[in-house]
Amino acid sequence: MSEGRFWALLLLFPSLLVITAVVLYPTATGFLLSVQELRLNRPQLGNDWVGLRHYADMVSDPVFWTSLKNTAVWVTASVIIELFLGLTAALALNRGLPGTRAFAVLILVPMFLPNIVAGHMWALMLDPRLGVVNDILMRLNLIDGYKAWFADPSTAMGAAIAVEAWHSFPFFTLLLLAGLKGIPEDLYKAAAIDGAGALAQLRLITLPQLRTVIAAAVILRVIGLVNSPDLLLVLTNGGPGRSTQVLSLYAFQTAYKDFDFGYAGALSVVMFALLMVFAWAYVALLRVDRD
Amino acid sequence: MRPVMNRRTALQLGAFAGLGSLIPRWALAQDGSVSYWHTFTSQTEVAGLDRVMALFAEARPGVTVTPEAIPNTEFMTKMTSAVMADARPDVVMVASERFTDMAAMGALVDITERVNGWERRGDYDDSRFAGITDAEGRIYGVPAFSFVDWMYYRKDWFDEAGIAPPTTLEEMRQAAIALTDPSKGRYGFGLRGGPGGQNYIVNVMEAFGAPVQVGDTLSIDRDQAVEAIRWYAGLLTQDGAVPASAPNDGFRQVIEGFQTGQTAMIWHHTGSFRDIASRLEPGVQFGTLAMPAGPAARVARLGYAYHAMSSEANADAAWSWINFWGEPDAGIAFLEETGYFPASTTVAQDPRISQDPLYAPAAETLGFGSVYPLFVGYPAWVENVVLPAFQEVLIGQTSPEGAVDQMVAGLEDASR
Amino acid sequence: MADLRLDRISKRFGALEVIPPLDLTLEDGGFLVLLGPSGCGKSTLLSIVAGLEAPSEGEVLIGGRRVTSAHPKDRNIAMVFQSYALYPTMDVRRNLGFGLEMRGIDGAQRHDKVTRAAELLQITHLLDRRPAQLSGGQRQRVAMGRAIVRDPDLFLFDEPLSNLDAKLRVEMRTEIRRLHDRLGTTTVYVTHDQVEAMTLATRVAVMKGGVIQQLADPQTVYERPANIFVASFVGSPAMNFLNGRVVVQGDMPMFLPDGADPVRLAGLPLHADGRRLVLGVRPEHLSLGAGEARLGGVVDVMEPTGPDNMATVRIGSASVIARLPPRSGLKAGTPVSLALQADACSLFDPDSGARLSLGEYV
Repeated sequence: MSEGRFWALLLLFPSLLVITAVVLYPTATGFLLSVQELRLNRPQLGNDWVGLRHYADMVSDPVFWTSLKNTAVWVTASVIIELFLGLTAALALNRGLPGTRAFAVLILVPMFLPNIVAGHMWALMLDPRLGVVNDILMRLNLIDGYKAWFADPSTAMGAAIAVEAWHSFPFFTLLLLAGLKGIPEDLYKAAAIDGAGALAQLRLITLPQLRTVIAAAVILRVIGLVNSPDLLLVLTNGGPGRSTQVLSLYAFQTAYKDFDFGYAGALSVVMFALLMVFAWAYVALLRVDRD
Repeated sequence: MRPVMNRRTALQLGAFAGLGSLIPRWALAQDGSVSYWHTFTSQTEVAGLDRVMALFAEARPGVTVTPEAIPNTEFMTKMTSAVMADARPDVVMVASERFTDMAAMGALVDITERVNGWERRGDYDDSRFAGITDAEGRIYGVPAFSFVDWMYYRKDWFDEAGIAPPTTLEEMRQAAIALTDPSKGRYGFGLRGGPGGQNYIVNVMEAFGAPVQVGDTLSIDRDQAVEAIRWYAGLLTQDGAVPASAPNDGFRQVIEGFQTGQTAMIWHHTGSFRDIASRLEPGVQFGTLAMPAGPAARVARLGYAYHAMSSEANADAAWSWINFWGEPDAGIAFLEETGYFPASTTVAQDPRISQDPLYAPAAETLGFGSVYPLFVGYPAWVENVVLPAFQEVLIGQTSPEGAVDQMVAGLEDASR
Repeated sequence: MADLRLDRISKRFGALEVIPPLDLTLEDGGFLVLLGPSGCGKSTLLSIVAGLEAPSEGEVLIGGRRVTSAHPKDRNIAMVFQSYALYPTMDVRRNLGFGLEMRGIDGAQRHDKVTRAAELLQITHLLDRRPAQLSGGQRQRVAMGRAIVRDPDLFLFDEPLSNLDAKLRVEMRTEIRRLHDRLGTTTVYVTHDQVEAMTLATRVAVMKGGVIQQLADPQTVYERPANIFVASFVGSPAMNFLNGRVVVQGDMPMFLPDGADPVRLAGLPLHADGRRLVLGVRPEHLSLGAGEARLGGVVDVMEPTGPDNMATVRIGSASVIARLPPRSGLKAGTPVSLALQADACSLFDPDSGARLSLGEYV
């Protein structure tokens, strides 16, 4: 090893240490859990290595498959709606019309609410007895009677997604607004002169220019949605039945209700792997790293 | 003015001067700081805790209590993490149904000797300690107050319709059907099919002759259980005597439904009496009843909140706080603020309880009530298997048979 | 092909008047340069012509057609931006044909026009690249190609050469000149560079504070600047200015620069005795040769540039720059007498800065 390389490695050492401690260690711990027997309330079962048994169990676990399917629906629908709302809001705010400054702050309010608070607030607003949403929909003649949104499997997931979209779309607004500010004004002028209408400008200038920002925002949001059970925990706890059961909630319940950290670890590793595959495929598909 | 110099200020001065280590060990015997995790969240509960803490500070000034409120839903998460990280508090509140899990994961300290040597042990019926004693006879805590399962009903509606208060599940069903009028937004029964409703499902199964636990044996009589589920879910799916929101109705929804005149009957325990009485007039608009009997048994749970030692780091101080709840002053003060029954048999004889007719059903229930099934994994089984399976019946995704099959399979897993 | 007419155009942002009402006409095939320092309103004026901004009042007419409220795309104009504004996600071919694509021109016809424009600008080999893969000069060519492909009535250039390095700027300037000579499209060109204005324009509008100071052909602007601002903005090095007054010695009116000797200037009227004036003279109109009108001073600095030797000479309280031939042998500190080419001088009113013609004294 030359002296220069030695020094380079020495100087890199602290950062490597931090990365190891912050990223690799927890990941490795999670993986190790998943190949272990670790049931807190059954110490007599011991802490033996069980190889891939938890993974094998998963294959025949109907709740896992239901959760996987629900996770796909929950994440896909939420992200699409949030992206759409976020983009719409960002475009509106970016026009710099009078009064939008105050509006820009207002629109971010949902994001400042913790998941738990937002969840309880919406649980009340959608309440079949006191909920203001039912009242409004009744007055608009959109529904016949007060509806128990979270008690009906055909609306529970939809209602939860609506709450999630409301809560998180400002995240997209914020990032996309920053992205929009970075697009040169001249491009729009050139497009206007070339005869491109608003839609063509959106399709051919705005969206391509925002590609990297959108990709980053979607990946971040997908990770958040896959990993965080808070909102569903408050709104439905996976019910009714298992119609809103998702992987993160299932892993949470397995760990903290069943105290089965081995199986919960295996579920987490599966989520981790799914996220890695998703992020890789998504980036490859969008070719974000190009130019 | 004469300068006041008691042991406490001396200690502080000593510590301040860096001399803390020189003070003899015996001087610290009853002193210290106790971290205390509880699940009190409502205003009345917080007021009750404040009163008890004030009394404690007066009576035993050497010990300071540092309370931390943890919402019920997050309690086990936090407890589990504390066990994993070896960062347990000194004293924890233990709800009956959590005892076995907490003991099994090593979250509790055996305090048999302290309990047996305690001068107030005689104030308690032996049965009060059954729910905090493990199979080997080790005692882990002291009961602080109790919740007795019972039923609230709209006395005014029953009187108006000329219906007698039900004593059996079938009478309850008939009354529920009779009092249901969807055009008025009125339903006979507020069924708790959402969070927290799991225990009632198990109770109904037991009332129909399918107890989950008999002695050390875990099993379910499938036919009886199916009948039970068919009857219980049928209140919604067949009889329409339950609000459609039932599959998602938890504590708040069920209580509000009753308070706001949506439902004629609900099942809960003595702990919600004050809440309900704040909106409806006791004895006039609503009354209380012992849980109705099923075809095979009459089932009502006696739930206790215990105080237990979680860490031995400040054992003496912790024990001082734990047993203080057995003092009559503390029990009565807490009762005055919350309406929660003291666990001490002696304190429970207070005339404010024994002479109130509305509390009579609770006293009656103490006679036939039973504790929650006590096996490791019970809370997870009822919450993660029994409740979702029952919800699937409520929403028509499965049959009572299908639900019971899920429960049986889950029970086998749990007893593995 | 079309002429351009601005009729009482003005622009206000709230209470701030950026452009007071102005009139302007540009003949068909003309090349108008809007010249001025930043903030003078030239870009705003261009945006109004393009339709990217609406005037507060007034009318824009292109080819006699009133287009004041028409959308930019309906004005049949093309514009080249300082930032090039190439669409980053499209290759050069699509960039060039984009305006045609948006107007629904079919593929084959589009291909022909794009090919022709690319050949004209010598960018055929770049057609399949993306803007990010091009150099600055190449991008500029593509931006120009995009403008000519549509064969518009009017070309608009907004400081198109400002982002290029000096050498490329000269090259592209020539390119634009060649293109205009060849296509003859009416053009409005915004710049702060007076060399570009001189080389490209058929007409120059020098602007300051939203007001056109002078609108004329470049030579006139250079030789007969309308006021001190124009005189100092156009030309490099800038015109020299000497403050002074008219004195009559004997029966000869002379110009007396402050703190210096009088200069004999033909044509000053007798009755102008005592009037204060500013004398403007360009460096190339000062020489070491013979002549009646002379300025005496002391050499301050000599700066040889190759073809010339720029001499800074102190004259009284002022200092002037003279463009002298190389190897003049002058050194700093040497007294010198400069001959003044009197018929090339300008006189300005010191208060208004306006150009004075001799007749105005009468």
